[in-house]
Amino acid sequence: MNNNDKIMEALKDVIDPEIGLNIVDLGLIYDIIETEKEITVTMTLTTPGCPMHTSITQWVETAVKQFAPFKSAKVNLIWDPLWSPDRMSSEAKKQLGI
Amino acid sequence: MSQLNSVTSAYAPPFKIVAKYFIAAIFSFILLTGLLLLFYKDISGFHFQPKILAITHIATLGWITMIIFGALFQLIPVVLEVKLYSEKLAEMQFWIFLSGVSGLVYSFLNFSDREFMIASAILLNIAMFIFAFNIIATMKNVKKWNITGYYLASSIFFLIVTAIAGLLLAINLAYPYIKTNHLNYLNLHAHVAFIGWVTMVIMGVSFKLIPMFTLSHGYSLKTGKAAFWLINISLLGISTVMHYDNTTILFYIFSALIVVGIYFFLFQMLFIFKKRIRKKFDIGIKYSATAYLMLGLTTILGGVLTVVDYENIKNLTLIYGYIIIFGYVSLLIVGQMYKIVPFLVWYHKYSSKVGLEKVPMLKDMFNDKFAHIQYYLMLTAVFAALFSLALNTDIGILISFIIMFLSSIIFLYNMTTIFRK
Repeated sequence: MNNNDKIMEALKDVIDPEIGLNIVDLGLIYDIIETEKEITVTMTLTTPGCPMHTSITQWVETAVKQFAPFKSAKVNLIWDPLWSPDRMSSEAKKQLGI
Repeated sequence: MSQLNSVTSAYAPPFKIVAKYFIAAIFSFILLTGLLLLFYKDISGFHFQPKILAITHIATLGWITMIIFGALFQLIPVVLEVKLYSEKLAEMQFWIFLSGVSGLVYSFLNFSDREFMIASAILLNIAMFIFAFNIIATMKNVKKWNITGYYLASSIFFLIVTAIAGLLLAINLAYPYIKTNHLNYLNLHAHVAFIGWVTMVIMGVSFKLIPMFTLSHGYSLKTGKAAFWLINISLLGISTVMHYDNTTILFYIFSALIVVGIYFFLFQMLFIFKKRIRKKFDIGIKYSATAYLMLGLTTILGGVLTVVDYENIKNLTLIYGYIIIFGYVSLLIVGQMYKIVPFLVWYHKYSSKVGLEKVPMLKDMFNDKFAHIQYYLMLTAVFAALFSLALNTDIGILISFIIMFLSSIIFLYNMTTIFRK
């Protein structure tokens, strides 16, 4: 397991409290870039203007910080490409009954 | 904290402002169902009478508009990504509005004091103008407009029209001066309020919240956009032509276009629901979907009322008003409250504790079983009231009002549970 996979694993602890699924299985994480000093997570949300906005990005930062306490964590929230249901894992799809 | 986070958290207004509006509204709902029960013998018959006017305004101002104010203070900054212009004005508006509603309801119940009624209507106008100013000043900074924004902007315009028309009606009761029949003007006041203000807000907010809650993606918004123009133009048309003679045909055309516009909205909602990923309806969505069906029913009844002499059919106006207030708007508000209030309280109390301690899921914030019981009680109460009013049976009306009161108590219990979590 490389570091990015481990970070992904850590991010599985971040649950969307409305949907009840974690953000990795929902397909919200687009990319993780790790440098010597910083870890940047590029991600989206299911809809722009989502009221969970602040919370979820903060939890991602916290999860990354817990994984790598000596590096700074940065969240890059993007809307291009927009999230689509195809990005969900088969596990998430199963849970939503798709 | 990243720069992004500090910017996004700055959008949402303080919890205590929104909570104040919601709590006042929830208590108005209890007062509304309680007074209906208390005055059940006075309900049947002609609709333009003090107790019905008092009850109607508890519903429209204390319950419906109060909730909308609170919800919009929360939603507009988040949905349009802009900071609320003034929290102080939102706070000030609350107290002025509350005094205005209390005064107006009191003066309807004691129909003799008409100066007091005018003073209350002035207070309500001041509160609504403050709201309109605050929202317009907020909207001036919006960089990216969307369909929800357009609907909300036009709803503010119709809120002001409703408020001014209401004030003119209050003055007219004390010093008659309106040349058009007072009841015609009342009809306009009520329709601009329910279609232009309440329904416009509901439509705009639905386009944002329903896809978000049901995870709906990949639908076109064309029908929803067409609904916007149809309803706005027709409502402006009706408000204008009713001041002139020989405009009956135009009145019918505009009324028909409003009906078409509302059905366009309903079809848009159907398209959104069809594309949803979360197939199972939770309790909030169940209430909301039922409310949309009720809107469909109400709209047909409204269309029929434009061509029949409704004042002479016993209780028809009451049936129409009741289905709008309880069947359509209240079901929708209760449903959305079961989604929004748990989120706001959760966000306020637990958001910062995630990862540090065990926090509840949103659905664990209230008793879901009770919310379901409330749903069936409300639906039963609505249909029981409609049939009882149609058949004009006092005992049926009494039973239906008891059931509605019970449902409001469950609502109060569940909302209190959430706020205390």
